[in-house]
Amino acid sequence: MAKGQKAALDAAKYRRFYEQMVHIREFEEECLRAFQRGGHGIGGYLHLYSGEEAIAVGIIGALDLSAGDCLIGHYRDHAYALAVGSPPGPVMAEICGKYDGCSKGKGGSMHICDAERGFYGGYGIVGGNVPIALGLGWALKYRQQAGVAVCFFGDGSMNQGAFHETLNMAQLYKVPVLFVLENNGYAMGTSIERSHANTDLTDRVSSYNMNRKKIDGQNIVTVYEEVSKIVADMKANPAPFFLECDTYRFHGHGAADEAKQTVVYRTKAEIEAAKANRDPIAIAAEILLEAGVITDDDIVRIHEEAVVEAKAAMKFSDDSPVPPADELLKDVYA
Amino acid sequence: MAKLRYIDALALALREEMRRDPNVFLVGEEVGQYQGTLELSKGFLEEFGKTRVVDTPISEVGIIGLGIGAAMAGLRPVCEMMRMDFATPAYDQIVQHAAKIRYMFGGQFQVPMVIRGPSGVGLQLSAQHSQAIEVLFAHIPGLKVVVPATPADAKGLLLTAIRDNNPVMVLESLRMYFMKPDDLEAIQPGLSEVPDDPDFSVPLGQANVLREGKDVTIVAYSWMVIQALKAANELAKEGISAEVIDLRTLLPLDMNTVLASIKKTHRAVVVQEQWPLYGCAAEISAQIGERAFYDLDSPVMRVTGAFVPMPYAKNLENLAFPTEVDIIAAAKRTLGGK
Repeated sequence: MAKGQKAALDAAKYRRFYEQMVHIREFEEECLRAFQRGGHGIGGYLHLYSGEEAIAVGIIGALDLSAGDCLIGHYRDHAYALAVGSPPGPVMAEICGKYDGCSKGKGGSMHICDAERGFYGGYGIVGGNVPIALGLGWALKYRQQAGVAVCFFGDGSMNQGAFHETLNMAQLYKVPVLFVLENNGYAMGTSIERSHANTDLTDRVSSYNMNRKKIDGQNIVTVYEEVSKIVADMKANPAPFFLECDTYRFHGHGAADEAKQTVVYRTKAEIEAAKANRDPIAIAAEILLEAGVITDDDIVRIHEEAVVEAKAAMKFSDDSPVPPADELLKDVYA
Repeated sequence: MAKLRYIDALALALREEMRRDPNVFLVGEEVGQYQGTLELSKGFLEEFGKTRVVDTPISEVGIIGLGIGAAMAGLRPVCEMMRMDFATPAYDQIVQHAAKIRYMFGGQFQVPMVIRGPSGVGLQLSAQHSQAIEVLFAHIPGLKVVVPATPADAKGLLLTAIRDNNPVMVLESLRMYFMKPDDLEAIQPGLSEVPDDPDFSVPLGQANVLREGKDVTIVAYSWMVIQALKAANELAKEGISAEVIDLRTLLPLDMNTVLASIKKTHRAVVVQEQWPLYGCAAEISAQIGERAFYDLDSPVMRVTGAFVPMPYAKNLENLAFPTEVDIIAAAKRTLGGK
C-alpha cells in the first residue's frame, strides 16, 4: 500500500500499532541516552531498532500468540518483547543488568525473552537463531497445531551456512516457519553490496522452492496486511515462507559505533535522507491521519505518553536491585 | 538378566522411551529408511512413523537447531550424529545455544534434548572419523556429558539422558557397539548383562567401581574401561590388585568415588583415548592432586592418546591410542616399577 492511499482500516488496531511503534521508538531512544550518559548499568552491546518498528509491530500484530503462534529473534530484540506486550520495566531492567529484568539480568540487551507470550528470545550469534526456529515450527507440526513460528533475522544471517541448512529442511518438511528478513542494508558495517554476490536477497532463496515475497518494511499497513494473508495461508496449508522487509536502521549497528558509522561505512546524508523519507512512524502518521484513524492531537498525546512510559521503565530499572551474588550459579541446569 | 550387545542396549533404551513418551523423537541422517548407518534404529520408522523418526539431509546445524527449538517448545528430541565427529559443524548450536539458553534467559526456557552418536578412536577410520572429543563438551557449563562403557550403562544412561531436562551429549563407544556378550563375559563375568526392568536407569554423576582392588586405582571411561579391565586381569596374574573405576559421565563428574578409592589404594592411573593436553585425565589428575595429595604414595599417572590426528596405517594407528599394555606399564610405575 502506498502512502496517501485511502483505505478502510481497523481503527482500534491501527491506533494500537501506532502507539506501539512510538513507544518502541521512545524506549530505544531512552536506552541510547542512558548508554551515553552512563550510570544505569548498561554496558557491552546495545543494538537499537529505531527505523525498523513497522516490521516487529506489523508482523507480531498479525499473530495469535495465545493460540500457539510464536517468535524468535536476534540481538536487536527489544522491540519484539515490547510488541508481544512484555511490560517495558522488566525489559529495561534486563538491558541494565538488574534483577527484575526479564532474564534476571543474566542475558542483557541481546537476550530479552518472554516465554509466557511466546517470544523465544533474542540470540547474539548472527544466523544462530534461524535453525532453532525450525524446531519451534517443528513442534507445531509435530503436535498438529495450526500455528506459525516467526523467525526474525538480518541480511548478515543469510551468509551463514546455518541459514541455508534451515531453509532447505523447512521446505523439505513443510514446517510452518515465517522467515522474516529485516534487510536494513548493512550487516554491522558491511553493506549488502560488499557481502552478497546476489543483492536481490529474495532471489537468493529461490533455490529452495519456498514461497517468498519482498515488501516495504517501512509501511505498517503493508506489513500487517501482507503478513495477515501470509499467516492465514500458512495455517491453511502448512509450509514455510520467506518474507523480505526492506528497511533501514537509524542508528549504528550498536550504540558503541554511533559516532563511527558515518566515518567508516555510510554517510550522514544517507541516514538523514532515510529519517526524512523512510521513517515508519512518520509514514504511519500520514496514512492514519488521512484514513481518519488518528488525529494530530492523538499524535502529540501518544508521543507524550511514550516518553513518560520510557522514563518510567528506566525508573523501574533504576529502582531494581542488581542480581544477588547467589544468582551467579543458578539456572545453569534444570 | 539379558546378555546384550552395546548397540542393542542403546536401541532398547531409545525404543522404550519412544514407546513410553510421545514427546520423544529421533532425528538424524539415515536414521529412518536406511535404518541407521549402524542399524541402531532398525525397525523404528516402521514402528513410529516419519514424524518421530526423521530422516534429514547432511545438515548437522539444522539437525541440532531443530532439536533445540523443539525442546524449548516442550518436545524431547534425540538428535543422532552419524558419528560424534560430525557434531563439530554444529558446535555453535551446541555450545552457543543449547548449553546457554537456560542461563542467559534467567531460567525461562529449558532444553531437554539428547545429542548422541558413536565416538572414539580406532578401526582405521582415519583422522576425521576417529577421535575422542568429549572434552570439547565437558568444558561447557550447561551441557551434560555421558560416556557409557557397558551394555547396561548404555541402556541405563541413555534412558536417564532422554528423561533429563538439560541438553545431554551421549558419546557412545563405536568399538563397543558390536562386542559380543561372550567376549565381554570373558573379560569380566556380568559385563554384558542388562537388567530386564524396562525402567532400569543409571543416574548421571555416579561413577561405578567395576572391579575392586587395593594396590592401584585405574580411572577410565568408555572403551578405555575395557582396556583397564584387561590390564587389571593381567596385573592380577603378577599379584597386583587394581581397582577399576568407570566414570560413566564426565559432566557431572563423580570425584568422590575416585577419591574414596585412592584413600584405599594410594595410587592412581587415569586413562583416556583423547589427546593428552588439557584433557579429561588432566582435570581428574589435578583434582586428585588438590583433594587427595596426602593419600598418594606416588604421582598420578596419565595414559592418553598420542598428540596427532589419527593416522590411517594400522601400525601407526596402534601406536596412537592407549591399550592395556600402556595401562599395565603406568600402574607398575605407580608401584615403583619402571
